[in-house]
Amino acid sequence: MVRSKALFALVSVLAVLLAAPLLVVITAPLHAPAPEWHHVLTALLPSHLWETAQLLAGVIVVALLLAVPSAWLVATHEFPLRRFFRWALVLPLAMPTYISAFAYAALLGPTGTLSAWLNDTVGIHPDIVSLPGLCMVLAFVLFPYIHLPARAAFAQGMTSQLEAGRLLGASPLRRFRALAVPLARPAIVGGALLVAMETLNDFGAVKYYGIRTLTTGIFRAWGGLYDLGSALRLSALLVGLVALLLWIENRSRKGRSQATDQVPVARLRLTGAKAGLATLWCLFIVLLGVGLPLGKIIGDVSSLGADAWPDGTFSAFGNTLGIAALAAGCTLVAAVLFAFRERYAKRWRILQSLADLGYAIPGAVIAIGVMAFAGLIDRNAGFSFALIGSIGLLTYAFVVRFLAVGTQPLYGNLRQQSIALDASARMLGASPWRAFTRINLPLLRPALAAAALLVAIDVIKELPLTLILRPFNMHTLSTKAYELASIEQLREASAPALLIAVCGLVPVFLLERMVGRRG
Amino acid sequence: MKKILYLLPLILAACGSPAPAPEPPPVMETRMVNVYSHRHYDVDKQLFAQFTEKTGIQVNVIQAGDDEIMARLEQEGQKSPCDVFITADAGRLGLAKTRGLLQASKSELLNDNIPPALRDPEGFWFGLTMRARVIAYNKEKVKPEQITTYADLTAAKWKGKVLVRSSENVYNQSLLAAMIAHDGPEAAEAWAKGIVANMAREPKGGDTDQLLAIGEGIGDVAIANSYYIGKLMAAEEPEKQKAKSLIGVVFPAMGAHGTHVNVSGGGVAKYAPNPAEAIALLEFLSGDEAQKLFAEGNKEYPVKAGIAPAAELAVFGTFTPDSLNLEALARFNAEAVKRFDAAGWR
Repeated sequence: MVRSKALFALVSVLAVLLAAPLLVVITAPLHAPAPEWHHVLTALLPSHLWETAQLLAGVIVVALLLAVPSAWLVATHEFPLRRFFRWALVLPLAMPTYISAFAYAALLGPTGTLSAWLNDTVGIHPDIVSLPGLCMVLAFVLFPYIHLPARAAFAQGMTSQLEAGRLLGASPLRRFRALAVPLARPAIVGGALLVAMETLNDFGAVKYYGIRTLTTGIFRAWGGLYDLGSALRLSALLVGLVALLLWIENRSRKGRSQATDQVPVARLRLTGAKAGLATLWCLFIVLLGVGLPLGKIIGDVSSLGADAWPDGTFSAFGNTLGIAALAAGCTLVAAVLFAFRERYAKRWRILQSLADLGYAIPGAVIAIGVMAFAGLIDRNAGFSFALIGSIGLLTYAFVVRFLAVGTQPLYGNLRQQSIALDASARMLGASPWRAFTRINLPLLRPALAAAALLVAIDVIKELPLTLILRPFNMHTLSTKAYELASIEQLREASAPALLIAVCGLVPVFLLERMVGRRG
Repeated sequence: MKKILYLLPLILAACGSPAPAPEPPPVMETRMVNVYSHRHYDVDKQLFAQFTEKTGIQVNVIQAGDDEIMARLEQEGQKSPCDVFITADAGRLGLAKTRGLLQASKSELLNDNIPPALRDPEGFWFGLTMRARVIAYNKEKVKPEQITTYADLTAAKWKGKVLVRSSENVYNQSLLAAMIAHDGPEAAEAWAKGIVANMAREPKGGDTDQLLAIGEGIGDVAIANSYYIGKLMAAEEPEKQKAKSLIGVVFPAMGAHGTHVNVSGGGVAKYAPNPAEAIALLEFLSGDEAQKLFAEGNKEYPVKAGIAPAAELAVFGTFTPDSLNLEALARFNAEAVKRFDAAGWR
């Protein structure tokens, strides 16, 4: 027991260590001067908050519409190309939002090539570079965050309830509406929360589309008003907003039944027009989610020929894979320890939630927190080396940023494990850690792999943290792509962008195989 | 539990160990200079390579956003390895000076190569290339005589015709900061309101997108940065040809003053471990060879007298830059952002 207590304490220390950069941000309003705060509050905040709310609502609604019905179809029905859609519907995860947003603007923006073609042939002139357009673009990239957990829940979490519904004569639509969706609600809401966080912290796409969100407000205060204090206050507000969302999610889960079966569902074979519609719907999503933006990028790469591959592209490829593996490994170790604490510790559970908040904050703001924390050590500890600019600090920053991506799948899976399992182990005299490693952890295995892969994908796509915290002369694919995109050389940015997508495809493929085995 | 305890020192060690540098560790004799740069152009890479070839001084680079770089310099303090801070905005250079992140340097060569308005009077930073904020127009619909000043764009006849990007962009911010420096905040805000009233659409996209929008007939005049125009004129993509053939350029005056310019420039970091090498690099970048490459390769205006701009820009004629000392841009940037907000310029 003493050992378990020591371990709890250790994890608490780790939680504080990981939350430290966030604490720098959250507590800034208490000490950092913010000379332009009045202006920010009156002139900037209202419009930025309003557009944030619209964007958030739009993205989540569209993402739900894309994710949930397609997950239901793939998990519980047989129709042409289903096996292909099983992994194709996860592919958009490999596309960084800013790259997809640039590609869409080049195709369907006011001066886009497809827009011009549509104008000439059918006389409509679309402009995707707008708030509704951005909702679509983001939703088509982010919906797999909802699709994946929803599909897993549909595929095996509620088999007996669905079977009972069928025997009682409920139509498929009714089973979907009245049984499947309510039972999968925790999975769906959890996914929607990730979509919300990704939308809130996006900077590249939002800025290019001219939308004013809390995140662009942070940068306007910091870079435009030269007022870091106000920028940090806005960041703290953003953290508060996400904490509120997390709290609502937590509340909505309480007292609700949820998917807990472990039996795979029998799939219903669709025929005729219904099968055709199902295939078309999924095809439509895949086409807009990856086909169109990736097609644009591949077109650019091939039009450039040998010039498409600037010097250092391939070493950037290697760096990207290396840092993604390192960061995913470290995040996973932390996530497992947190999962242990979540399951067995009774007190100070808020520590876990606090460390999770890093996911919602723009990378550049995390970077401020990380540098402030590391700078304090560097200036005072008298080491011969500096933390800032080391691979170690970059990795730490990734763990701070993406911990939630690692912990959420584990917490979700733990909730499905019956508490009777731990109780039996404990009654037989096992310590909490022994019960966790012998009983809970083996059951967590699929969730562990999913968590590692999701973190790896996020690290591959990540930009602002990598930019400022990397060592001298080190490039990753996203810094390469950004270098060119930021100076409006979008065509030249296509090769690194393509490699990012390819890099992301590998984990996405593996991820699908694991979830797919069940769905 | 034991396994984890064994792992922990490893994890901690990984977090604290110095970065495995991509380059082999420098021997004592290797001279080097460490650059934190906001610029990410191919020409910069070429120039750094030429500098190394010429002097034997190795150049190490980190590219990142300028605000992030300044935050990093502040946190690194005396231990910072940075020798030279390079950015593409005089406002940020001024800010770095006032925050104590730069040191004054004395160099006859830099003072000879760079005109006084384009460098800090005390030698804290030096402009290396220049970009003008110009007005591009549709040659089929607009006569260049119709626009001679920035203020002309606020006339009623341009209602629904003006294209410009968001006020989030630093070049718009420094344009308005220069107006504030010359004519005061009220006049600057009135100008911003006039532009907002004449906008062809809500601001979106980058400078190149405004130029392409002229090609599509979405607007007739666009405020844009000269080097994006130079790049467009050198572009080969089919979708850019229409705009390329339609666009003319005027160099507007700011009231009684010349055309607004901003610079890319650099300064020696406060705690530079290699200050001599840092000055050598800045001197090289202000020299003939580098200035020619900035002009040809990146379509920027050279700061050194006697170096010709790129052919793609030379066709549009010459201009008189505003002689305002660029130090003013840092002083009025925040005021400019507030006035943009007041004018409703997204």
